[in-house]
Amino acid sequence: MADLDQADKKECEGKKIIHTYPIVKNSDMHEEMKLECVEIVVTACEKHSANNEAAARMIKEQMDKKFGPPFHVVVGEGYGFEITYECKTLLYMYFAGTLAICIWKS
Amino acid sequence: MPPAATPKKKGGEKTSTSGGKSLKKKLSKSAEDDEFEQWQKSKQLLKPPDQLELTDAELKEIIPRVLQSLNLQQPDSVVEFSFEQGEFIPKPSPGSAVLVFSQKGTYIHRETDEARKQLIAQGIDPSAFVSTESEEDGAEETTREEAETESDVTEEGSENVGGGETKEAEEEAKPQTGKKLTNQFNFCERAALTYKYPIMSRETQTVPPPTDTFSANILQWIIYDGYQQDYEAQQLEKELERQRREAGRMPTGKQAIKKATGKSSHNEAMQGRIYECWKTLERMLNLSTYDYIAKDYRYWEDPADEFREEEGTLLPLWKFAYDKTKRNTVTDLLWNPFYYDLFAVCLGFLDFMNPIKGGAVLLFTIKNPSFPDYICITESAVMCIDIHKKYPYMLVVGMYDGNVMVYNIQATCKEPAFQSNSVTQKHGSIVWEVKWVEDLPDGEMNFFSVSSDGKVNHWILMQNEFAVTTIINLYLEKEQVRGPDGTLVKRKACATCLTFHPVNPLIYLVGTEEGLIYKCSTAYSTSYLFTYQAHDMPVYRVDYNKLNADVFASCSADWRIKIWEDNRNEPLYVFDLGSCVGDVKWAPYSSTVFGAVTSKGSAYIFDINVNKYKPICVQPVVSRKKYKLTRIAFNNKLPIIICGDDKGCATALKLSPNLRLPCKPPKKQQHLDQHTLQLMKLDKLLSLVREPATLTAPPDPAGSTDS
Repeated sequence: MADLDQADKKECEGKKIIHTYPIVKNSDMHEEMKLECVEIVVTACEKHSANNEAAARMIKEQMDKKFGPPFHVVVGEGYGFEITYECKTLLYMYFAGTLAICIWKS
Repeated sequence: MPPAATPKKKGGEKTSTSGGKSLKKKLSKSAEDDEFEQWQKSKQLLKPPDQLELTDAELKEIIPRVLQSLNLQQPDSVVEFSFEQGEFIPKPSPGSAVLVFSQKGTYIHRETDEARKQLIAQGIDPSAFVSTESEEDGAEETTREEAETESDVTEEGSENVGGGETKEAEEEAKPQTGKKLTNQFNFCERAALTYKYPIMSRETQTVPPPTDTFSANILQWIIYDGYQQDYEAQQLEKELERQRREAGRMPTGKQAIKKATGKSSHNEAMQGRIYECWKTLERMLNLSTYDYIAKDYRYWEDPADEFREEEGTLLPLWKFAYDKTKRNTVTDLLWNPFYYDLFAVCLGFLDFMNPIKGGAVLLFTIKNPSFPDYICITESAVMCIDIHKKYPYMLVVGMYDGNVMVYNIQATCKEPAFQSNSVTQKHGSIVWEVKWVEDLPDGEMNFFSVSSDGKVNHWILMQNEFAVTTIINLYLEKEQVRGPDGTLVKRKACATCLTFHPVNPLIYLVGTEEGLIYKCSTAYSTSYLFTYQAHDMPVYRVDYNKLNADVFASCSADWRIKIWEDNRNEPLYVFDLGSCVGDVKWAPYSSTVFGAVTSKGSAYIFDINVNKYKPICVQPVVSRKKYKLTRIAFNNKLPIIICGDDKGCATALKLSPNLRLPCKPPKKQQHLDQHTLQLMKLDKLLSLVREPATLTAPPDPAGSTDS
């Protein structure tokens, strides 16, 4: 049995599964806000899967409406940043395997 | 009150009592009341002196007066001559308003700015001026009121004196006082102005919301690594969750221990660590003490076997015993299905003339022959055991007193995780065999037990107790007998052993003290599928062949071992061992090898492929005078067996090479694996002893076909 399991695992590793679920890498939001925020991000990125700018705009507008402006949103596949944010408003997450999304309020 | 009123009052007293009383009352009232009345009086209508006196008829006469918006005297269509245009042009109507008189006054209100300026110019302080004026007004008011009251009193007084004089007096009094009439329709509101707090301005400055900085670098491979890490963490979490769930399903006594205070639990942890150390040390000592045995076990292959045909030997290795259970009999032996070096020994007693109080389940490992790894001491003698195949730490034991218990040795050996209720659930007699079966669809563990009371019970492990159902009551297919009071009693069979079909989980065999073996199904609770007239004495063990599920062996106190095929009345093989056979077990590695132990202290190994009439090995394990052998168990992986005796000792023996010969594939069928070869070997043997196929039908009751 154990051997079989191991074999299965090896097969899985061989396949290289591509994960698409959202991972929150860093956030100091409280739990409810974080959940809502992740929801917004998922919706936006799924809707504008080919257009990061539109996705970022959509996220920003939604966040402004829900939690009050001014929010800043970065959606991209490769970038670096150093930001100053208001405490309890930062969310840094991965989504769809290739996107990194950073949301903060100044 | 004015002193002038007093003499008049006296006079009044003389003439009218009622008027006097009212007067007196009035006088006695306090100043406050007076003030109130004065105020009320001022409300009364006063007639001007020059008012016309009209008769009633005149008063009632209606004088109509019609007002019209049309002014008849107003000229219409007024024209004006325009010299510019040389003609008359109509002039706008002058309207109905007529200005009669107009004059500009020189009065100014004293509070206006202009008035103030004037006052200042005259050298008077405007605020002082205003206040003095108001004071003067107040003074005037009081004097007027006083006058009024005076006049009232005189009025009343004069009334009292005589009705005729009233008018005169009134007319006289009014001009005398010369008081001016106030406008009675002028209503003045009284109001109070409360203290007004000065407005203050106060400012606060808040601290700006706290901020923080954050920086990161995002690259595709960083994201990929992030996902990988998270996935691994998730897998780990799942695994842990599974383990926890399994642990949670085993209710144990451990929780109670955990509840102990922090200090003691700390001590316990310390003890646990020390215990681990001791255990390691013990293992090391054992390793050097039993080094020669370990070497024998590993490397000794009896060289004599090469020169002996069809015979083998058993090499005694370790002896496993525990001081506290030296008097008990080994009632069951079982290798752990998961840890192949671990086995369980049940300690009870079989000599029912000398009952022994207490029993135990000991778990030994062959790595440590000196002391058991797990010790479960029980109140009653332990008669049988089974270890769950999926959860090798779950032991079910059957007791001499009819109870069954489930131990979770992973949690604790001290007390059972489950115990049957000794009032409502337990068997009526000794529990002879217990067997775990496949978990129920919803994951509940369950097992079967048989007992001398003729019942086969099915036990399901619920949250923290058993649910028990009786699957079958084993009734003998004999006539009912009359009980002491004359009622007919169905006689029950006393079950002594139980085994489940390895392939079909519904089918099981029950051996009885009457020597019968019943083949039953868990689906039927009244009828047997088949009845084997197997032995003349109690059946001690029924065991299915490990490779061919149609073949099983049984042993009995009537000195015999019999090999049976399913649904066949007659045994295929019968072996007589010359003494009571305590146990028979099929070897896991061969389809034709089985072992047995007898009360004479010998272990027998048979290989019906090699010799159909005699055992290929007879090995006295213990002294035949003092000891009896009770149980035997083959290890699933190693070439060793263990035999239990009636002095609480288990002996491990190594099978010599001749006893475990693998099948040699025929030259034409080199590709076949051992399993198929073993099955072929058995089939070949069986075909030799089976009666012709035409006779396999159930025997004719007339017995005409029987030879």
